[in-house]
Amino acid sequence: MAESKPAEMRTVFGNTLVELGAEYANMVVLDADLHTSSKAGYFKKAYPDRFIQVGIAEQNLFGIAAGLALTGFIPFPSTFAVFATRRALDQIAISICYPKLNVKIPGSYVGLPTSRAGASHNCIEDIAVMRVLPNMHVADAGDNADLRAIMRTAMETDGPVYFRVTRYTLPALFEADHIFQWGKGHLLQEGSDVTLLGTGLMTSFCLDAADMLAKDGISAEVIHMGSIKPIDRNLIAQSVSKTGCAVSAENATILGGFGAAVAEVLGELCPVPLQRIGVRDRFVDSGGIDDLFTHHGMQPADIAAAAKKVLAQK
Amino acid sequence: MQISDEKICQIEEAAYQIRRLSVEMITYGRWGHIGGSLSMAEILAVLYFNHLQVDPLNPAWEDRDRLVLSKAHGSPALYAALALKGYYPIEKIYTYCQLGGLEGHTDMTKTPGLESSGGPLGMGLSVAVGIALGLRFKENISARSYCILGDGESNEGNVWEAAMAAAHYHLDNLIAIVDYNKVMAKGFVWDLMSIEPYAEKWRAFGWEVIEVDGHDIEALDSALYQARWVLPRGKPIVVIAHTVKGRGVKQAEFNYKWHTHAPDPKTADAFLRELSHRYGRPEEGYSRLHDDTEKDVFYGGE
Repeated sequence: MAESKPAEMRTVFGNTLVELGAEYANMVVLDADLHTSSKAGYFKKAYPDRFIQVGIAEQNLFGIAAGLALTGFIPFPSTFAVFATRRALDQIAISICYPKLNVKIPGSYVGLPTSRAGASHNCIEDIAVMRVLPNMHVADAGDNADLRAIMRTAMETDGPVYFRVTRYTLPALFEADHIFQWGKGHLLQEGSDVTLLGTGLMTSFCLDAADMLAKDGISAEVIHMGSIKPIDRNLIAQSVSKTGCAVSAENATILGGFGAAVAEVLGELCPVPLQRIGVRDRFVDSGGIDDLFTHHGMQPADIAAAAKKVLAQK
Repeated sequence: MQISDEKICQIEEAAYQIRRLSVEMITYGRWGHIGGSLSMAEILAVLYFNHLQVDPLNPAWEDRDRLVLSKAHGSPALYAALALKGYYPIEKIYTYCQLGGLEGHTDMTKTPGLESSGGPLGMGLSVAVGIALGLRFKENISARSYCILGDGESNEGNVWEAAMAAAHYHLDNLIAIVDYNKVMAKGFVWDLMSIEPYAEKWRAFGWEVIEVDGHDIEALDSALYQARWVLPRGKPIVVIAHTVKGRGVKQAEFNYKWHTHAPDPKTADAFLRELSHRYGRPEEGYSRLHDDTEKDVFYGGE
């Protein structure tokens, strides 16, 4: 059975780095002065010789990672997602993605649950930005087992990977031996009236929303899409051809991100009513985590309300 | 170590061919950076024909030296050097900027012998720092990480982030060469954004600095020899090569208008003729653009 009291996801990130470090002698971790926050510091403690501190210089962080990949190493340049996305995008695009280098990029502090740091540190656009880079893979874990599986798969993936590490404790969705595959979604709960598509922490909110809908006699199908790029087009199409409507939910902006990816699939394969849950076209404020989810209309109740809206549009 | 006269002749010939091929490439490709290609002809010729430990027959050799072209718009000169070195037939240069051919800016996935991809300025030194760190992680490796930078890209903060890290990690297996040709895309460096006192900046960042005339083959060779074998260990080394943008073609020298500009075939022919006269090779003044078949190819798409 899944553990009863899960660890915070960033702790699992740090532990998995150490675990992979034991298996892959060519794995290196780079940091830009945030390793105790991101928990990349666990790797530093275990393998100090394979940990590279670059200081507060994110453009350099990703350039150096490219150079290490060019000499046969598998680098994890670790920083907050905002700095990877906003500060070092050119380096990630041209030094890493263009030559399809084997760099694995963890984006820490994503979406609403970061600290109370506000818009400068809450990354809401990383899914949208990373998704449009050719050769890049993008994933957002639904729970700890998913994150560990994503990191294991990333090591075996040829080319660059961007994966999100949520600073939050998520309920377990999967067993410890869960396997992650690119382009494969996971059907968590079958239903017939509406499809709830979640990525990252929002998948467990979708499950909560499904429980609420069940009380009103609505049967919701819940699918976790840990792999955002490539996305499981077939699973989306199969599900909505049965339910006839969908709600997407992401811990990020709905502009260009996961919900947009879902809309692309629906538009091209099987147009049905869709509502997207996530941050609207605005920056994120400082505040308590629960307050932020309420403020931005991203609570399970908001997903349930959106589901009723699309049901009415059928 | 004294370079032989024979070697100097060989390098001079390579520099001449790099210039010719760059002009032809940019003409055929209808796009490209002539000034910054011509200015580093000697730098590339000295590197590929007397310094870089590389083997075109074994491009994946683990102990090979790596060269990152940070000023990746100078790709025509590098493509020419790689062809002359034997990584691919000379004819490949005529695919420059054609669909499926050599890319406008460096793309290592499409070009044998290229060690990195680039284009946006200011990024290459970081990649070279990563390569230097990677080489140091490996055992029994004597290879060096080389990086050619432009002077103008020293405006970019990323360059100095990389410089700081290289000194912090005592990367004495890293040799940067600056093609200090004094001209940026839209004017002189000192008019747009001065980088002086340049050598002092590198020294302040913890680097060993050698300044040299970047068109003097003997001096360049000696500087690169010093950088690799003579200077005390423990610091990264930068060779500031003072050059002339557009060197070899009077009209393009120190002229920002020839930073990005493709000559028409007639102008290209005049450029090639001028180059061959300068190198005492008047009989080679004509480019293959004079060949009727090639003319058809060139004008065919118009």
